[in-house]
Amino acid sequence: MKTFTVGGIHPPEHKLTASKAIEAMPIPAEIAVSMNQHLGKPAKPVVKVGDEVKKGQLIGEADGFISANVHAGTSGKVKAVKSAPHPGGNYSMTVIITTDGKDEWLEGCNTPAIDPTSLSKEEILRKIKDAGVVGMGGAGFPTSVKLSPPKDKPVDTIILNGAECEPFLTADHRLMLESPEGIVKGLLIITSLFEGKAKPFIGVESNKPDAVLALQKAAAGKGIEIVTLETKYPQGAEKQLINAITGRTIEEGQLPFDKGCLVQNIGTALAVYEAVCLNRPLVERIVTVSGMEIKSAKNIKAVIGTRFSDIAAFAGSMSEKTNQVITGGPMMGRSQFTLDVPVTKTTSGILFINNTMLTGSRERTCIRCGKCTSGCPQSLEPWLLATEAEFRRLDDAETYGLMNCTECGSCSYQCPSGRELVHWIKYAKALRNNRRQRKTA
Amino acid sequence: MPAHSLRLRTGTLPRYRPPEPDDASTGIPVCRLYYKPMVNEAFIPAVLSLGTLALALGVIIYFVSRKFHVAEDPMVTIINGVLPGVNCGACGYPSCNQFAEELVRTRDTSMTCPVGGSDLAAKLGDSLGIEMAEPKPVVCAVLCQGSDNVAKPSAEYVGIQDCWAATQAFAGPKLCRHSCIGLGSCIAWCDFNAMRIENGLIVIDSDLCTGCGACIPACPTGVLVMQDKKADRIFIACNSHDRGADTKRACDAGCIACQKCVKECPEQAIVIEDFVARIIQEKCTSCGKCIEVCPTKVNCIVRLNDTVKSKQAS
Repeated sequence: MKTFTVGGIHPPEHKLTASKAIEAMPIPAEIAVSMNQHLGKPAKPVVKVGDEVKKGQLIGEADGFISANVHAGTSGKVKAVKSAPHPGGNYSMTVIITTDGKDEWLEGCNTPAIDPTSLSKEEILRKIKDAGVVGMGGAGFPTSVKLSPPKDKPVDTIILNGAECEPFLTADHRLMLESPEGIVKGLLIITSLFEGKAKPFIGVESNKPDAVLALQKAAAGKGIEIVTLETKYPQGAEKQLINAITGRTIEEGQLPFDKGCLVQNIGTALAVYEAVCLNRPLVERIVTVSGMEIKSAKNIKAVIGTRFSDIAAFAGSMSEKTNQVITGGPMMGRSQFTLDVPVTKTTSGILFINNTMLTGSRERTCIRCGKCTSGCPQSLEPWLLATEAEFRRLDDAETYGLMNCTECGSCSYQCPSGRELVHWIKYAKALRNNRRQRKTA
Repeated sequence: MPAHSLRLRTGTLPRYRPPEPDDASTGIPVCRLYYKPMVNEAFIPAVLSLGTLALALGVIIYFVSRKFHVAEDPMVTIINGVLPGVNCGACGYPSCNQFAEELVRTRDTSMTCPVGGSDLAAKLGDSLGIEMAEPKPVVCAVLCQGSDNVAKPSAEYVGIQDCWAATQAFAGPKLCRHSCIGLGSCIAWCDFNAMRIENGLIVIDSDLCTGCGACIPACPTGVLVMQDKKADRIFIACNSHDRGADTKRACDAGCIACQKCVKECPEQAIVIEDFVARIIQEKCTSCGKCIEVCPTKVNCIVRLNDTVKSKQAS
């Protein structure tokens, strides 16, 4: 079984929802579609208060090269365009739509499947861009930008990321089980953009043997290699996945293109297929609603913009012991400060948990045990970075590889002293960015 | 065994014998040291070689120091002695020494040290024999009154106790995202001990604050601003650029941009910019009419008295 070479940890998996089929969540009375659902510049809202919108209608226009379109998730009327809470922890411009329950598609959207081979490369890329497809694994990098790498950097390996190494999350797992054909078709569309020079892989962790079987069946005879990976965190991180499958290492400051690789999430491949063949913009996604404190943990297909409070109600309300709500996985996800935040294109899961570690002071002194260093998949010394951050020695932290940290959380998870290593690293990055901005301003 | 067999056998121990008196008349023993004179042939080459080396280096150092001599104005030392010496950077120079050098070189009367104020300007002027410009005394002001029972909380934050670390997790422990986060990142930057946290809100001692401005970039939400010192300073202590309804929901002391103070002000000194009122200090006569009409629960307009030292007063 393949795996990455440096570091890695084995947190408990807690895949409570692995055997639960995806349920379509009924559309709530109001949805809040954020304009900032991707990496780069937020989209510009193009609707006004009082406008009638249809499902799949453009409501936010990409603003700049690294940006993405945003579409209405259902039909209804625009109630407000204002700044509202965002699962990223801050506020962003949000279009709030009062839904009408009809869920009508805009004309020209959701058409019967067309043959992607009849389209030219430019047409496919334009369709992906128009549909607002972004990386659905978590970072939300606009897919059309990722699929047009610079000419001097040939891509020979395309990897679909089905590792889903985060505990609790099963959204990609269920997607691989329930629509492997769509995923394979999406991957073939992506591969066709590279004119047969790139070899497609799908990497799946060994704790999902049923997904491997389903994909193998769907991909039979199509030249796609399904790679079973060892169950180890962070197997699904881009750099680690490339290392596991190809043996190449992405150095500091390098992008996957520099090593001839391209990584896309399973969900992104399906979104590409739907955008290109079915003319469906990205308006829905699979979300794992899980955690010990929610009554009925499940995988749901939610319209982008559905608020967490509606989802909590749909999943049978959370218990009184809930003290932390996290979007994404427990390792890299973000705690939320309100349940008014909506599902975005990158929300892979919502976890309702009772974190006993939240009471009292957690941080104690570093005892130099070296667990963080041995667990770091990026060969860093997290304790050192955290100490430099604590004393605001940002230049030193940068020499020790601050910017090479992917914030995967392996170090914080393992620390016996409860040090918030990743938080210190994020803090150092924030101070560094702030200082840099002030210097250029 | 008989008891006497355990007696110490003192017979084998050396007996104490007093030294024989040297001086027969006093009976006090006199210590005499006998030694061989330590001038030895082995020392001669060492002394000679090191001595020559030292002499040669001394000559080189002499010529080097003559060659690269930097004439330092003795005035710089004098000015340096007058300056506060805290290297806060408020004057625009990285250190007090560089300020002194620049001042002595250019004799620019417009150069000011905000920390020293007018007293220092007078002293500098006396030392250099020129009339120094009077620095405008400024003071740091907090545009937020969202203390723990005034601002509504959003979620409890248990991570690293630093404002910048908190902003990495979410918008801040208060519902208003423009508010003072209250974890005191700015305190570490204050060289004058003028800042403290009270009820989750930063408080500035305007007597201790010298207006150096070091704290301003340390605040992630930008609630700290510099204002001119005034005997009766009125300002709107709110930084919320949210709409009135959102501000009201988040804080009892938030400016809801209701325009009441704008209409009331006889000098037209109040303007609303981006959903928050601002007083133009040059026009303000500190009449206080705006304070009376402010409808918010905790008045968002604050009146402070600064002790203003001026050359005329002293």
